[in-house]
Amino acid sequence: MTSKTAKWIFYLGTLTSAALFLALTWDTHRQIGALTHADQLSDDVAAGKKVFQKYNCNDCHTILGFGGYYAPDLTKVYKRRGEQYIRQIVTQPEVVLAKSFRKMPQQHVSEAEINQLLTFFSWVNGIDNHDWPPQDSPKRKSRAAERLSGNSNLSLGAALFKENNCFSCHKLQGIGGDIGPSLNEVGDRLDWDTIKKHIADPQSIKQDSQMPAYPDLSAEELQAIAEFLVHQKGAAR
Amino acid sequence: MIAYNSQRVAYPYFVVALLLFALQVVMGLWLAINYAFTLPQSIVDVFPFATARAFHTNLLVLWMLLGFMGGTYFMVPEESRSELFSTKLAYLQLILLVGTGVTALIGFLFGWTQGRPLLEIPLELDIVVVIGALMFLFNIAMTLIKAKNWTMIQGTLLGGLVMLALLYLFGIPFYRNLSIDWYYWWWVIHLWVEGAWELVTGAIMAWILMQITGVPRQTVEKWLYVEIGLFMFTGIAGTGHHYYWLGAPKYWLWVGGIFSALEPLPIIMMVWDTFRHVKARQSEISNRVVWTFAIGCSIYHLIGAGVWGFIHTLPQINYYTHGSQVTVSHGHLAFFGAYALLNLTVFYYAFPRLKGIDKFSHNLGHWGFWVTGIAMFLLGMAFGVAGVLQSYLERVLGLGFMTAQAQMQFWFKIAIGSGSIFLIGVVIMIYDLLRMKAATQKA
Repeated sequence: MTSKTAKWIFYLGTLTSAALFLALTWDTHRQIGALTHADQLSDDVAAGKKVFQKYNCNDCHTILGFGGYYAPDLTKVYKRRGEQYIRQIVTQPEVVLAKSFRKMPQQHVSEAEINQLLTFFSWVNGIDNHDWPPQDSPKRKSRAAERLSGNSNLSLGAALFKENNCFSCHKLQGIGGDIGPSLNEVGDRLDWDTIKKHIADPQSIKQDSQMPAYPDLSAEELQAIAEFLVHQKGAAR
Repeated sequence: MIAYNSQRVAYPYFVVALLLFALQVVMGLWLAINYAFTLPQSIVDVFPFATARAFHTNLLVLWMLLGFMGGTYFMVPEESRSELFSTKLAYLQLILLVGTGVTALIGFLFGWTQGRPLLEIPLELDIVVVIGALMFLFNIAMTLIKAKNWTMIQGTLLGGLVMLALLYLFGIPFYRNLSIDWYYWWWVIHLWVEGAWELVTGAIMAWILMQITGVPRQTVEKWLYVEIGLFMFTGIAGTGHHYYWLGAPKYWLWVGGIFSALEPLPIIMMVWDTFRHVKARQSEISNRVVWTFAIGCSIYHLIGAGVWGFIHTLPQINYYTHGSQVTVSHGHLAFFGAYALLNLTVFYYAFPRLKGIDKFSHNLGHWGFWVTGIAMFLLGMAFGVAGVLQSYLERVLGLGFMTAQAQMQFWFKIAIGSGSIFLIGVVIMIYDLLRMKAATQKA
């Protein structure tokens, strides 16, 4: 190879790659508004992003998969956890994670800031990012629940209970969180129709309920969870 | 035995870089402890993981950049055959940058942050960094212009440095749209490490190889052209492998997948070049530590950046490994292989010359190389196993994040162990470099 050929390889390689990259960048700008629902990107969303940056959330949590790997990804947190849980954990991490082996700092985030943060998460949740992350993908999630119940003697209701993170607020047989009531005896208190309605839309049963709604669960799934819960009655009090 | 007096300004750059390197590793150990054990809420409230991580990554960037700058100040006088334009400016620039770094770290402790990973430092400090970078580029450019001795190696080096400075600007503004924010964040991070930094590395490595092997400039420069041509070709469009899941159009999966699959090619070529130049050496290589580091750098670069990068940039795999400990494994092996070892190669080449030492004991240098090299490999493996566990448990099986993390804790204990060994290796090298004395007996 001559020096001249070598130089040509350099110039051609750099320029073609840069040209392709810049052209696609231009096209991405054309499309990204629609993919991210930029029309819904209000001032509150931007303010929420500033809050997210102010408290350096991103150096523990990933968002869109980028950032620190120390804590759960927040891309779809709005859907996964719901407003109520996010509000709880941000204001009282020391309570919510009291028994967790990994903690979150108490940063004294103000009420107004949390509201902006929630608006931000709600907007991020809507970004069309090709169904990532897998753990929050509805398609893969139901498959995971099936696998969980298929591979063990776990009922579908138990798998769904686990998959939907009910344990983070509720105790069952001594395991789980303290935010909501323990569910051991829920079958003594409520019939399963009420339980189903309560899960799908908590405020319809109990007006001041702080529990997030689970509108995406199908009738069969609600039935399975309710059956699982009423059968807890009497077991290992 | 330096040819130009002004090469001396490189020394304080190197010393500061080395100390920051040690501090970075200490912070890394602290991060691993955060993963492996439960810390009390009182510590988490005061010094959370996020702050420690900001320390760890910013120290990395700072020490590497100071190393590159010192390396440039050391190399440019000899390449251009003239003294630096201004040594005062070079010292002033060092004080400015180190001052900014220290201010930034103290600021992080009090929550003074922009809150964007790796680009945490606030706008006010960004401006000081830009001023520092301009001083540096001005100093180098003026030296080259006055010397009128253009070489291809200098051109590549200057090109890389200008690109590095320009790309930094994309990281400064506040972006309202999170997806666009990350889109340009990668213009800084990816186009640095797989673009600008590769140019700097290519130039410095080519120069050192030329110096220690005596291979003719024409040959070295010719292959450097091909090498950086391939780096640019695969690296620029390869940025696409970060655009898979951030809300950008789907074609990035194709572009990113294909171009990053080619990214190992220039690195393979770099390894081949290094071996060929060493084999075709015209003069005896007296500084054998540099030789070890140079070859080690090229091979480690290939493993960490090339192989590990290749494995997890395929979209089908990346869907499950993106943002997991697999990324951490790749990051550690790649940064150490490509850039930490490059800087150490430069240090081991420059330190004896700056101290006027002809022959010195190579014992500790070799120990440092092997201890850090092996420890980092173990560390990369521990993160890798943790990452595979995480991808499988959390993303394939759909278990909760914390359930998966509990299974990974054991591997973070291994990481603490290998990280501690790594730290010992770093201390050995720092001690060796700072206390280096001429061998009294025949070496």
